[in-house]
Amino acid sequence: MDHLLTLLIVIPLAGLIPLVMFFRDTRAVKQVAVVTTFIELVFSLVMLAQFHPGEANFQLVESAAWLPSFGIRYELGVDGISVLLIPMTTLLTFISVLYSTGGAIKERIGEFMAAFLLLEVGMVGVFMALDLFLFYVFFELMLVPMYLIIGVWGGPRRVYATLKFVLFTLAGSLLMLVGIIAVYLQSGDAGGRTLSLPELLTRSGRFSADFQFWVFLAFALAFAIKMPMVPFHTWLPDAHVEAPTAGSIVLAGVLLKAGGYGFLRFAVPLFPIGTQAWLPILILLSVVAILYGAIVSVVQKDLKKLVAYSSVAHMGFVTLGIFVLNQQGGVGAVLQMLNHGFVTGALFLFVGIQYEKTHRRQIADLGGLANNWPLYTGFFGVFVLASLGLPGLNGFVGEFLVLLGTFKFNPVGGPGGLFWGPAAAIGVILAAVYLLWMFQRVMFGTLREAYRSLPDLSPLEVVCAVPLLVLTVLLGVFPQPAIAIIEPSVQRILAIAAGASQVVLK
Amino acid sequence: MTLSDLVTVLPETVVTATACLVLLADTVLERRIARIWLPLLAALGLVAAALTGPFTVTSHTAFGGFVVVDTFTAFFRVLFIILALFAILVSPEYLERRAIPAGEFYATILFSTVGAMTIALAADLITVFVGLELMTIPVYVLAAMSRRDRFSNEAGLKYFLLGAFSSAMLLYGFAWLYGISGTTTFAGVADAIAANGLTDGATLVALALVTVGLAFKAAVVPFHQWTPDAYDGAPTPATAFMSVAPKAAAFAAILRVMVGGLGPLGLDWGAVFAVLAAITMTGGNVVALAQSNVKRMLAYSSIAHTGYILAGVAAYHAGASASAAVLFYVFAYGIMNLGAFACLIYLDLDGTRGATLDELNGFARRRPAGALAFAVFLISLTGIPPTVGFVAKVFILGGVLDAGITWLAVVIALNAALAAFYYLRVVVHMYMYEVDANAPRILRTQLLSVGLGIAGIATVVIGIVPDGVYRWALEAAAPFVR
Repeated sequence: MDHLLTLLIVIPLAGLIPLVMFFRDTRAVKQVAVVTTFIELVFSLVMLAQFHPGEANFQLVESAAWLPSFGIRYELGVDGISVLLIPMTTLLTFISVLYSTGGAIKERIGEFMAAFLLLEVGMVGVFMALDLFLFYVFFELMLVPMYLIIGVWGGPRRVYATLKFVLFTLAGSLLMLVGIIAVYLQSGDAGGRTLSLPELLTRSGRFSADFQFWVFLAFALAFAIKMPMVPFHTWLPDAHVEAPTAGSIVLAGVLLKAGGYGFLRFAVPLFPIGTQAWLPILILLSVVAILYGAIVSVVQKDLKKLVAYSSVAHMGFVTLGIFVLNQQGGVGAVLQMLNHGFVTGALFLFVGIQYEKTHRRQIADLGGLANNWPLYTGFFGVFVLASLGLPGLNGFVGEFLVLLGTFKFNPVGGPGGLFWGPAAAIGVILAAVYLLWMFQRVMFGTLREAYRSLPDLSPLEVVCAVPLLVLTVLLGVFPQPAIAIIEPSVQRILAIAAGASQVVLK
Repeated sequence: MTLSDLVTVLPETVVTATACLVLLADTVLERRIARIWLPLLAALGLVAAALTGPFTVTSHTAFGGFVVVDTFTAFFRVLFIILALFAILVSPEYLERRAIPAGEFYATILFSTVGAMTIALAADLITVFVGLELMTIPVYVLAAMSRRDRFSNEAGLKYFLLGAFSSAMLLYGFAWLYGISGTTTFAGVADAIAANGLTDGATLVALALVTVGLAFKAAVVPFHQWTPDAYDGAPTPATAFMSVAPKAAAFAAILRVMVGGLGPLGLDWGAVFAVLAAITMTGGNVVALAQSNVKRMLAYSSIAHTGYILAGVAAYHAGASASAAVLFYVFAYGIMNLGAFACLIYLDLDGTRGATLDELNGFARRRPAGALAFAVFLISLTGIPPTVGFVAKVFILGGVLDAGITWLAVVIALNAALAAFYYLRVVVHMYMYEVDANAPRILRTQLLSVGLGIAGIATVVIGIVPDGVYRWALEAAAPFVR
């Protein structure tokens, strides 16, 4: 199969056709969406199977002229960093769609599924695009469907939340667009310009230190808002609290990763000098995010908001791992993205399931649920433990590698790893505090009378949760295959970043 | 005047003849027949005009140097014909409902189109002026076409007074230019100015007058005050047409006069245009934020878009890419803005005013296809891919950065984010709120839906594969590359 990556973009689009044909038939619409996302999942796994681990460079590359007048190309490819994120995306999308067929979405189900399929096109495309222009198109393509998913099917304050989400994201990404065009103009003389990443990496000597300083800032703002890094995170709690469960799962599981992925794929290798210049601030903000996100999580009264703020902290580990610019940090960051996708996706799923049953999200209104829901408690407990980084579950591996990388971080001047490492480690302890305390208050104690008759997990909910549980355990016990896939590509990016910064400095 | 001169302006002649024919048919035909045949006749005439004009042309002059036909002319001829076609396609049901005389409406649009096409033909200050007048006078009429409506009258009168004022200013500027150069052809003016530079006060006066006159026509802040009332008060199909065709024509005039005639002073007026562009987009967007009447909001938004296009003009010295960006943006703006205004035709309200945000509540449930089209146009106006509006903004940003005006590129980006707020707010009301009890009636329409469908699909398709249109724009910009 030569066009496997294009196929991954086409499948959700093709699914829209039967979806529109049976638009009024609720049952058919659900079936079409589930089948389409399942086929997409299968093909993403085929792609993973075809990928040769151990090679650092892009694989399964497709390249065709798109805007020949500009030398802009339709260029797709995967390497060790993206090849795992794509199956993660398709799995989370499948689970979100499957869960939504169970009654969580009550009206306009056709529109909902159409928005989800469009969203999947954007999400999958972001992780495959090798041309900056194409990347930007996919990056923005995620915006409108998510805007509608939060705004139409969200909670009481959905309109405020969704506008805030869109405006924050758009402000950042438009500045990145200016940066992309600046890169384009700088990439060559008229007629020889390009936005293709492999080509740009060979020309990075053209980007002067001053240029890199500003363009890195433009890119970093877009990605930092998407991640989100403190202090650009304020849209996140609102968006998550108001989003429907399926929206929260992909928002936390996939959309936030687009920021971290963007840093690693584009910003760091293209602008190594810019990276160095902004490094101290980015590391500081990462550690602040870890600590701030954790501290704010401790005091949350709303269950969903707690998980949202814990995402801020977890994303802090991702940026920290990226910007310590060493192998452990980089591999840890990618693993953390992956693990956070599964674990936080699962946490949002379970918060959603719980809310569907009790219609309460305030932690104070809950309690004692363990007495009634043994199955739920088991699943939820594992994901909570994974989220706080218990060894043996996947959350531990990424955070441990990031911390390891942080301790090794040794910059010229300024505080080094021995300062940042312990600071970030406090975040891990705080995570145990807020997550376990939350678990205790929600699951143990006396059960309210009103909740006594509520059923435990339904078969559908179990089916949604099992793959996430399996991956959580598997990646925790046996992370080596994943690390083997990620490592060469991370090394390659770090080598490019280190090499390119010397070329220009000469 | 020879026969070959007449052949040169054949498309214009066909449109004029069609307009006369429509007027004639209006008096002769029965009402029942006229309902169908008048718009059809007008549309056929426009298509015929498009077919008579060669698409690829080698530049040549006619009428003793008053008229030039080049790739630029060919581009704008087709653009104006497309816009007029769309305007006619979306109008009939509305006109019938409001008892606006349809024959006169179509004929007026056709006459205005001829004027706009004439501007694209101009090789001479006088031709530009004749074209501008021929284009705007029918538009004053269009604005006031709903005779018994106070707001429509206000719209027509305001537009007329300020339009006449700006025409006088422009003409006075042209007179100064003639005084400096002793000729009215663009080439002659350019030569004289290249020799003189900005050294004498007379050139400065001429430059200022011409800039202000053209700025009025294109609705550049602070010369935009006529726009909101004129757009808001005019019958909605008329607004749809006058928000795009005269704007496109104004930019055709700006390119012809400023780049073609005053090009040697480009660095001087380029800086002024860059500042005007920044003020225009920011001013338009900020005021649009505060509007609750969607028609008025779109009026301010069209001012903001003037700013984006003007930024491309300010960057023209970057070369072909910037001028092509201007043309591409004008094209994109024409489709998406006409579409956005036309979507308001669905709402059957009293008078000519537009719907408020609350009246659009739940529109997606009442008219799913119409709401989807409106959403596509709004997303395109915001500049989110994969729409033509996004690509147009990218081209403008590319031109501006290429010209080295980085600050303006950042202003454009921030403005686009600002504008997202009010565009997406309309989507919020259409999709995320329930229908009010006293929501307005929905006009029964078929033609409108067809027209919006075509425009909506074009918005997305050209957004994904813009290369063909861009090449065409690039070719059309060739006359302005020195």
